[in-house]
Amino acid sequence: MDPKLIRNFSIIAHIDHGKSTLADRLLEACGAVEKREMHAQHLDSMELERERGITIKAKAVTIWHVHEGVRYQLNLIDTPGHVDFNYEVQKSLQACEGALLLVDASQGVEAQSVANAYLAVEAGLAIVPVLNKIDLAHARPDEVTEEIESAIGIDATDALRVSAKTGQGVPDVLRAIIEKIPPPVCSPDDPLRALIVDAVYDEYRGIIVYLRMFDGTLRVGDKVEMLGSGKVFEAIELGRFLPKMQKSESLGAGEVGYFISNIKHLGDVKIGDTLALHKGAKVEMLPGYRPPQPMVFADFYPTNNGDFEKLRTALETLALTDASFTYEPVTSDALGFGFRCGFLGLLHMEIIQERLEREFDLDMIQTAPTVTYRIVKHGGESVDIHSAGQLPSPDHYEKLLEPIARVSILIPAEYIGPMMQIAADHRGEFIRQEYLSQTRVQLVYDLPLAEIIYDFYDKLKSATHGYGTLNYEVKGFHENELVKLRILVNNEEVDALSTICHKDQAEYRGRATIKKLRKEIARHLFEIPIQAAVGGRIIARETISALRKDVLAKCYGGDISRKRKLLEKQKEGKRRMRQVGNVDIPQKAFLAVLGDREGDDAK
Amino acid sequence: MSFAPRTNPVQRAPGLRPEPGTPLYVHVPFCVAKCTYCDFYSVAAEGQDLPGALDALLLEAERRAPPRPRTVFLGGGTPSFYSVDELARLLDGLDRWSHFRASAEEVTCECNPESLDFPKARALRELGVDRLSIGFQSLEQGILALFGRVHDAEQSFAAFHAAREAGFQRVSIDLIYGVPGQELARWEVDLERVLALRPDHVSAYQLTYEDGTPLAAQLQAGAFQRLDEDQELAFFEATRGRLADAGYEQYEVSNFSLNGQQCSHNVNYWSNGPYLGIGPSAVSKLASTRFGNARSITPWRAALAAGRFPAAWEETPEPSVRLGETWWLGLRTRRGVEPAEVLRTAGFEGSDPTLRLQESLLELGFLEQSAGRMRLTARGWPVADAVARRFLEACAEQTSPRLPRE
Ligand SMILES: Nc1nc2c(ncn2[C@@H]2O[C@H](COP(=O)(O)OP(=O)(O)O)[C@@H](O)[C@H]2O)c(=O)[nH]1
Ligand code: SF4
Ligand SMILES: [Mg+2]
Repeated sequence: MDPKLIRNFSIIAHIDHGKSTLADRLLEACGAVEKREMHAQHLDSMELERERGITIKAKAVTIWHVHEGVRYQLNLIDTPGHVDFNYEVQKSLQACEGALLLVDASQGVEAQSVANAYLAVEAGLAIVPVLNKIDLAHARPDEVTEEIESAIGIDATDALRVSAKTGQGVPDVLRAIIEKIPPPVCSPDDPLRALIVDAVYDEYRGIIVYLRMFDGTLRVGDKVEMLGSGKVFEAIELGRFLPKMQKSESLGAGEVGYFISNIKHLGDVKIGDTLALHKGAKVEMLPGYRPPQPMVFADFYPTNNGDFEKLRTALETLALTDASFTYEPVTSDALGFGFRCGFLGLLHMEIIQERLEREFDLDMIQTAPTVTYRIVKHGGESVDIHSAGQLPSPDHYEKLLEPIARVSILIPAEYIGPMMQIAADHRGEFIRQEYLSQTRVQLVYDLPLAEIIYDFYDKLKSATHGYGTLNYEVKGFHENELVKLRILVNNEEVDALSTICHKDQAEYRGRATIKKLRKEIARHLFEIPIQAAVGGRIIARETISALRKDVLAKCYGGDISRKRKLLEKQKEGKRRMRQVGNVDIPQKAFLAVLGDREGDDAK
Repeated sequence: MSFAPRTNPVQRAPGLRPEPGTPLYVHVPFCVAKCTYCDFYSVAAEGQDLPGALDALLLEAERRAPPRPRTVFLGGGTPSFYSVDELARLLDGLDRWSHFRASAEEVTCECNPESLDFPKARALRELGVDRLSIGFQSLEQGILALFGRVHDAEQSFAAFHAAREAGFQRVSIDLIYGVPGQELARWEVDLERVLALRPDHVSAYQLTYEDGTPLAAQLQAGAFQRLDEDQELAFFEATRGRLADAGYEQYEVSNFSLNGQQCSHNVNYWSNGPYLGIGPSAVSKLASTRFGNARSITPWRAALAAGRFPAAWEETPEPSVRLGETWWLGLRTRRGVEPAEVLRTAGFEGSDPTLRLQESLLELGFLEQSAGRMRLTARGWPVADAVARRFLEACAEQTSPRLPRE
């Protein structure tokens, strides 16, 4: 395959701006799939993705397209659109020469599109702005063009105007991909070098590796080495996703495809690693990816102690394709043996949690997320801690630091007032304000990361009726007056419920937390005091009264089986409970230390 | 109806034979009209094939009745709804297949006031019944109306007197209290009036809103408000207190006896013993298997007519579940349980998983120990289910936790 006839691109878009729909249209326009097969969105395969309408794992699809009599290979590398997945975006962009910047012409530019477009610009990609949903009556393409220009700083005057829904303008998109995105720069005659873009585990065939070929040609039967891990494998099967798998004898320079070698051990494949011929000429590793630092931590404990190993295996499997996710064993007095997991953000955490439950059928108790704190000891040594339980008493350290993020918020102009109030309530430091167009404003703040995961994002969403978006990047650590907020249930401290917070917020958060606990913890045979404390000082107290009347009036031979099942069902909810000092604490209660997060009730 | 524990297709039950002496329960599935709170299986009798159902009961007795049962209980439904002739056919037939008249130390028949008069009581007496349980339910006309009962208080008293006249020493009265709008003082007066009859046994039930009943639907729809927890507790406590003052022993959550006249048939249920039930929806427990007949008349009769086993479901709980169950049932009684005996009854091997729980409940004052037996304290009775759940839980958590590899 002549590399000049290859185009590798991805689509950058905010959630719901139409990326999946456009991808479907492109596949369809090129006859890759029949129209009647098109009701499903082809690039989002995971059940979870479809439900949430977001794309989690990057996937690559090859589209054959004839343009002016010449057959081109277009490789669409899918990218996720959420703030937590910048890293995944970066991964995808490294395999591309260009990106479609897809913006909903009625919604306008969102913080994520801006952040991801910056990444693409930084990576030197050609950017093709595309305004989608122009079929909508309230589309405002001129204004949105202006927003793209002022927010991203690229010329958007000839942005394409399309409707992924009706198909209007889709041929222009194909033309632009070929004419505006450069072919890959690669050398077919140099020794083999390919980038591992992604990997998925298939029960029957082992790990399926997604490759972006840079130099040389890879053939079935070749012995290859993963330069980072040193592992050697034989190419048993090669091919492309069209989007169905289609085998091929070889993959040439510049192409995107898959590689199968019956690899069963999850640790053997590292995304971002370089593949080269085994015992071939020595080659440089490709740049790969910067694995990002997880910034949000939460503990997962199997509800059933016996599931600890199962949980470990599941975490290993997930970490295979998600280098941004970390885990290490921990123990808690209240919860037993589990893992402390590190995530890029809250959504990332929720997705991992749901995948563990759905794909691995694990029942877990999860603690409320926390950020990484840093203590500086008297000798000047600094130590990072990932839970309140790890925080020593104040005389053991000199300073306590927390991560600060630079937050960029895009909102309709009418919400500036309330948004500024929310930022102030969350210890935000105002940096600047910019009008992107007459109706949209960008606010920039420095905000402790802990505030973002507490409830800042949810507050932003509700204050702007869902129109506000944010993007953030952790800048560094700052010293602050932070204290450990201890929670006591039935006079015993529950380590998994304790948190670190600013001293001025301790009382308010302590109260909020125990109020929620009061609601979450069922009444027991005895009265249960719940207290919040800072150091030895109790700052708030609630009481759960004892059960007074709970007995079935009738129980005879005909009802025993059924009534026993009724009693068992009433305790069924206890599958996700843990006992601390005689008190059953349900899973939900462990999230009570979070602020008023949306969806709390839905869970 | 909500009850369908399709735990398992019926497999073991047909092969299980009752030991001689096994208590016998007979379910008569007819009533004059359906009461609004009732979730037993029964249908309004009008237009039903009563003699046909009777034939089927006798056919089932022929095939399945235990030899020489220790106790017999005719329940329902309303057994007293049958005529004297039908009752004679039923009881003679039962005796023919089980010889209960020679063996049973207690033969109870449930009766409703509208269908118990002196001739019927005398007939029952002559046919081998020695204990009657009469459904008064309430003396308040408003409550009887809410319940859809077809009799009034006067008829209840008349039925009681008829029983006494016919020579029944053992007569139990069924009552329901804790009804929306009911006043505690009024209930106490009514209870007083009932106790003045000096029945040897009283079953006093706090009103339960069983799923699927018209009463539960009305509650759901907001037609009335159920008493709050404290009110229900007050009714419960007042009932126990008043009955105790009058010399009645609360030998089970809702059952009270004078001079030790407990219902042996029911006591067997609470010690998780074996029993054999015939009739639609009747449940049996043989060995460790509990199984239930088809819940309505048609499939039950069809199975019998075709020579098939009439059960529709069965379950054989794990020993750990049986252990929790035996604790639960046993703790409903004043006699309580003997921990080692519970292990034996349940066929549970290994160390007792409830030890720590027993200790903590003793410490918290919900359980007390006397002469090697554990029972609920006065504090424990009103929360017996919460205690039971803890036992079921402690037993269910039997899978020993594997220690993680480090
Ligand atoms: N009216 C209209 N709706 C569209 C268009 N493109 C996508 N949509 C709708 O927008 C929603 C989000 O589209 P989807 O492709 O899932 O967005 P993604 O989250 O970016 O993948 C869906 O309901 C689509 O049907 C379009 O051009 N016009
Ligand atoms: S009479 Fe008894 S069995 Fe019949 S419906 Fe009323 S409560 Fe139920
Ligand atoms: Mg999508």
